[in-house]
Amino acid sequence: MDATSEHTLIARCRQGDEGAFRELVDEYKGLVFTLIARSISNQARAEELAQDVFLKIHKGLPYFRGDAKLSTWIYRIVINALAQERPDLATLSLDDQEIGPAIQPAATDTTFGALLLRDRLQKAIERLPVAYQVLINGHYLQGLRYEDLAEALDMPMGTVKTHLHRAKRRLRKLLETEFR
Amino acid sequence: MRCEQLDTVIEAVADGSYQLSADEQAHVDVCATCRARLDEARDIERLLQTRAQPVTPASFTSAVMLRIGQERWRAERAIDAGFNLAILAGSLVILAGGAGLAWSLGLLTINVDIGALLRALDNSGGVTSRVLSQVQTVALAATLLTTTLIVWWWAEAATD
Repeated sequence: MDATSEHTLIARCRQGDEGAFRELVDEYKGLVFTLIARSISNQARAEELAQDVFLKIHKGLPYFRGDAKLSTWIYRIVINALAQERPDLATLSLDDQEIGPAIQPAATDTTFGALLLRDRLQKAIERLPVAYQVLINGHYLQGLRYEDLAEALDMPMGTVKTHLHRAKRRLRKLLETEFR
Repeated sequence: MRCEQLDTVIEAVADGSYQLSADEQAHVDVCATCRARLDEARDIERLLQTRAQPVTPASFTSAVMLRIGQERWRAERAIDAGFNLAILAGSLVILAGGAGLAWSLGLLTINVDIGALLRALDNSGGVTSRVLSQVQTVALAATLLTTTLIVWWWAEAATD
């Protein structure tokens, strides 16, 4: 969505145009639902949380100043919603030492089936700090740019890639230790 | 080359944003641990890139709009309740004010002689007999009130 259309849509929503808000939901539901559903295994809960996000958007639109892109603002709301859902994972720690001692992977670890790894990977992702989860889930979503990720996570763009690598390293360590 | 040094770039190697130097590649070629880590990082990268996209439920937008409507209705109901309470409070204040004004002007005089009242009750069979004679009326009023409250509560719940 280009900036002009976005601006018009927001203006219509602010005037109480329900059709406009329906358009907004249709435009962003994929982004919101995917980010949440990839962090929360329970699909019913994920859907409820995604609906909550749009309720917050509806309430917050009159106060949206437009300094950031709408998608960035929505992205922040998603992060906050996930952080409230998982307060134990709300803090983004950039200290890789918290991962715990790395252990040598067993020989069989390199030969496990893709299906098993996919299941372990999902569990490991759910154990990452929320910001890392959103970083990984967002990055591997089509259409989400590094700039959006950087703005949403309040990080310089140059460090997003570094943090993405750290997030994936933390994933790998989790798979080597807690999800073997 | 230590394994810990290589460990910090494995993810970048796996996603193709970093090329191993000749030294690093030589280490990976002879180190089973680093090779296993790199294989696992590549597996993770591949799986992340090929993860299935969750499908948004078809009724999602309608469900959101329905909840927004409910939220708005609740907000309006809260405003209505506040308005009704304010009207009630205002009426009470006006009544009390009117009564106070009438009393201060001497138009309203209340004299209560508790002793005379008790004696009158005793003379006509006592408090108990007076209350018992009214039990039927009180019970009927209580039943009507309770029924009204239940019907009101049911109607509110059905509307929700």
